[in-house]
Amino acid sequence: MRIGLLTEGGYPYVSGDAGLWCDRLVRGLDQHEFDVYALSRDERQEDAGWVPLPPQVSRVRTAPLWTAEEDGVGYGRRTRRRFTEYYGDLAAALCATAATGPADPPGDAENASAMEADRFANALYGLAELARDEGGLVGALRSETAVRALERACRAPGAQRPAREARVPDLLTVAAHLERALRPLSLDWYDDAGLGAVDLCHAASGGPAALPGLLARHFFDVPLLVTEYGVRLRTHYLTAPRTTPAIRALLAAFHGRLAAETYRRAAVITPGNGHARRWQERCGADRAKLRTVYPGMDAAPFAEVGEAPESAADPDTLLWVGRVEPTKDLVSLLHAFAEIRKAQPGTRLRIIGAPDGPEGTAYLAHCQALAAQLFPDEADGPHAVGHNPVSFDEIGGPELPTAADAYASGALVVLSSVIEGFPVGLVEAMFSGRATVSTDVGAVVEVIGGTGLVVPPRNPRALAEACVSLLRDPERRARLGAAARARALELFTVEQNVSAFHGLYLEILSRTPIRRVLLDATGEPVPFAAPAEAHVPGRWTGPTSPLVPRSRPDWAVDPPVRATAPTSATEAVR
Amino acid sequence: MNDLEGIGGFGDIDRPGTPSSPGAWDERSRAYLDGGSDLGSVPAPGSVPAPGSVPAPGVDPASGVDPASGVDPAPGLDPTPGPDVAQGSDAVSGAGRKAVRTVVSRQNASLGAGAGAGAGAGAGAGAGAGAASGVAERPAAPRRPAPVRRLGADPVKALLHRHRELCERAVDPLEIAAGLEAHGITDRTAARFRHRDVFSLAEEMYARAPRGGDTPAAPGTRAPSADSDRPAPPRAVWAALSLLPGLLCAATVVGLRLTQGQSRLCTAVGGALAVLLALRAALRRGPLGGTDDHTGPWACWLAGYALLGDGLLAAALGGGPDGPPTGAADGPWPVTVAPVLALTAACAPAAWCAHLFTTGARRRLATSRGLEEFATSVRPLLFGSFALFLGALAALLALTAAALGEEPAYPEVLTLGALLLSARLLAAHGFVHAPALVLTAAVAAEATALACVFASRLPHCGPLATPVEALVTAWGPGGVPTAACGAGALALLGHAARRLTRASAHARPEPGP
Repeated sequence: MRIGLLTEGGYPYVSGDAGLWCDRLVRGLDQHEFDVYALSRDERQEDAGWVPLPPQVSRVRTAPLWTAEEDGVGYGRRTRRRFTEYYGDLAAALCATAATGPADPPGDAENASAMEADRFANALYGLAELARDEGGLVGALRSETAVRALERACRAPGAQRPAREARVPDLLTVAAHLERALRPLSLDWYDDAGLGAVDLCHAASGGPAALPGLLARHFFDVPLLVTEYGVRLRTHYLTAPRTTPAIRALLAAFHGRLAAETYRRAAVITPGNGHARRWQERCGADRAKLRTVYPGMDAAPFAEVGEAPESAADPDTLLWVGRVEPTKDLVSLLHAFAEIRKAQPGTRLRIIGAPDGPEGTAYLAHCQALAAQLFPDEADGPHAVGHNPVSFDEIGGPELPTAADAYASGALVVLSSVIEGFPVGLVEAMFSGRATVSTDVGAVVEVIGGTGLVVPPRNPRALAEACVSLLRDPERRARLGAAARARALELFTVEQNVSAFHGLYLEILSRTPIRRVLLDATGEPVPFAAPAEAHVPGRWTGPTSPLVPRSRPDWAVDPPVRATAPTSATEAVR
Repeated sequence: MNDLEGIGGFGDIDRPGTPSSPGAWDERSRAYLDGGSDLGSVPAPGSVPAPGSVPAPGVDPASGVDPASGVDPAPGLDPTPGPDVAQGSDAVSGAGRKAVRTVVSRQNASLGAGAGAGAGAGAGAGAGAGAASGVAERPAAPRRPAPVRRLGADPVKALLHRHRELCERAVDPLEIAAGLEAHGITDRTAARFRHRDVFSLAEEMYARAPRGGDTPAAPGTRAPSADSDRPAPPRAVWAALSLLPGLLCAATVVGLRLTQGQSRLCTAVGGALAVLLALRAALRRGPLGGTDDHTGPWACWLAGYALLGDGLLAAALGGGPDGPPTGAADGPWPVTVAPVLALTAACAPAAWCAHLFTTGARRRLATSRGLEEFATSVRPLLFGSFALFLGALAALLALTAAALGEEPAYPEVLTLGALLLSARLLAAHGFVHAPALVLTAAVAAEATALACVFASRLPHCGPLATPVEALVTAWGPGGVPTAACGAGALALLGHAARRLTRASAHARPEPGP
């Protein structure tokens, strides 16, 4: 199968986010071929270059999102009218009152919302067709025509209130942002040699990366798989600059509608955790399409620690591992530790981690001061040098060269965050077979399942009591640790991640009608000419087959007779 | 403990502060705490179920883990105490159980006991009452009935107050939901506000928040988007640079007056080069700078024609010229220096007029409600700046002509100035096509006029010069450039009146995401 991997600001660039995940996916699925379609986020990223690519990546096409050249195509009267119509529709869909208004009766609201979603989709695909047929979309999106269409939509009756109050600079900002967001429409990827040739589009994130996938689905009926480890719409809300309400309302509407359209058209959506899943459901994703695929982590470094008997670790040492920042609430942990030491004197706490940024550095210094204040140094005897029961270390030093060593040095791992996304440190502790006490934040409960203790955040007393109960019960600690390791190996390994996607690819393909039929010399279709897994041993279709089973797709070697023409753009509008 | 206050300065997230009281999470945990404050002791028989008496509802860690419990914990949605994860793994130790708070039981407790029940951590108000309750107080605390902190009848109100800014500026409930989650509020927290999840809590907050954000933002908030993000060169730099061509040109003219022979030629060539470079520098930055339109050679030709063209045309019509220009106004090929000097000196007023127009347009942009309104308010500004420039140019011309003792050729110079300024203004706002076309046409017209006169000397080509002769007879030799530049200036001015009054012409090139 030929997978079109769509990324934005990530793989295959060196500095890309989620690059590691994509790399593992591509390397893990060497029975498929990958075409990587990458959108770069800025110039620095492009200059930094690519990561080394495995041989199953047959092609990489990149395009910048941060700049766009006008191709100098001017629109004639008819084309301009077409553009104005589509852009006006797009703007009208953005300006429409959010259908979730409490005053509307539910049925009407649903209908109106579906209509607006259709309108948005039609406008989007209309613009894409225009860009494909005529070019010149970048210039048109920057032109006065676009701003005028936007103004008309904002002043139209029924527009939402912030949009009605949009002033000229707001309109200009929104038009510029839309031009930026719609740049993927002007790419030259949408032809039979580009995205038309892939069997499945896998968007590594929502938003701009999914846009080419949407268009490939529109133009060529290529199924789309969307993976979101962080919900793009939520990121937009959190990172949107503080501007006027009109700009924020229109842009939020655009990103919301784009997300909804992505979820609507995707064959399968894979959120990375329950939190992302809830957001996607909220944005209109069909539950039947959602499959949570947890991010995979490399369990191998922790195998030794995890398999070693728990008694090998110092039973009196609590561990905290992570990046030091205020959201980790180490202060609460220190207070909890004070309680723990009252119940269990002789317990030690190791805080292992580097500070994150200047804020983290200041916080670390604060925590160190607090620890020195709360816990005086202790010595074994009158002639020994004392130590503080709380130690601060960093991974990478001579004492703790790897994270696995860090986890090996204690019997109980504590997580005291008040805010947490997907708790990577917790998964590492689980891999290491350590019993854990964590606060109930983010995806912690989802990750830990029944294999560790969970306490409310900002409750040092509860944290202390949970820790003491585990410190006093080595047997239970071992049991929880073993269960945690088993659970982590089941759910959070790279292998489960890759095999989940492998299964999803085959599942999607099995539901997709055959788009390419190869004919042999007599004009008969060759059965099994395009196998689902590109690299199968031997030839199964007989010597007449024009297929070259390895390394290159059949249609790239010898142009076969195409029995089914690609769906024409207008037919595909449904 | 006082130094705990210090961490309030970190970031704008909610302070992960320590609890302000040693109280428990909710009523149930308070009962546990009161019953068994000594961690080592066996809990009071009445307060805690005896070990093993509660069936383990969750998973048994010894027999392996049920992955399903991790895939869909749905703790906030399930009213049964089934997925009590901590207890599930913890059917053995009563001491552990009392420490471990579970999601569902906590939720049930606060839901069941009503709003007043959530003592201790009510509304997440842990940060307030401060550092008074230190470690030292703690041993005494569990024995003492802790003061019951009431959540109040309306717990959302406190939350609303705390996230007031977020709620007021939010444009839809999802924005509030994202903001709340970034502050650490989860579905479990939302359950304490009697909401199913963060989304429904956010919807209530969105509905209840005063929509202060609906009023147009203060000018202060808009100013950055209008002025800050372009690395504009300081005004002093371009203002000084725009003076440079005129000064250099004047210096060259003075030098030409003072020198003779070889050194005079050197002065002329050096002066011309210096003026060209200064012009280039002046037009690179400042309000006249912008897109490079490659019309420099045409502009130079037009200026050169203003210097030499009239004399050449007059001489050609009279059968000459008999020799190269000597620099004198009364030679066989008379040279008119005053227009060029006035034009180069007019760089400064041109820059100022363009600056006036740009900043004025930007100001109107910030205050306009609609595109039409903007266009109508910018049009007079455009013509006003042009008139101002032409006035300044006329004054400069009068001055230079008087200083040099030449006859001021107003129509010729003013039309040329108008043409050059409109071309430059258009190019500075990104419209390069029309200026290039019009300038080329003007140059072609002037060149054609000259060529016709010379071509008419060829046999049988006499009639070629007739239109030029007629024009010169009517308006003098200045008529040719006046007609060419005037027509061009009118065309470009009309074009500018349509293009430069559009809002998109004044948009930032890259406003950022």
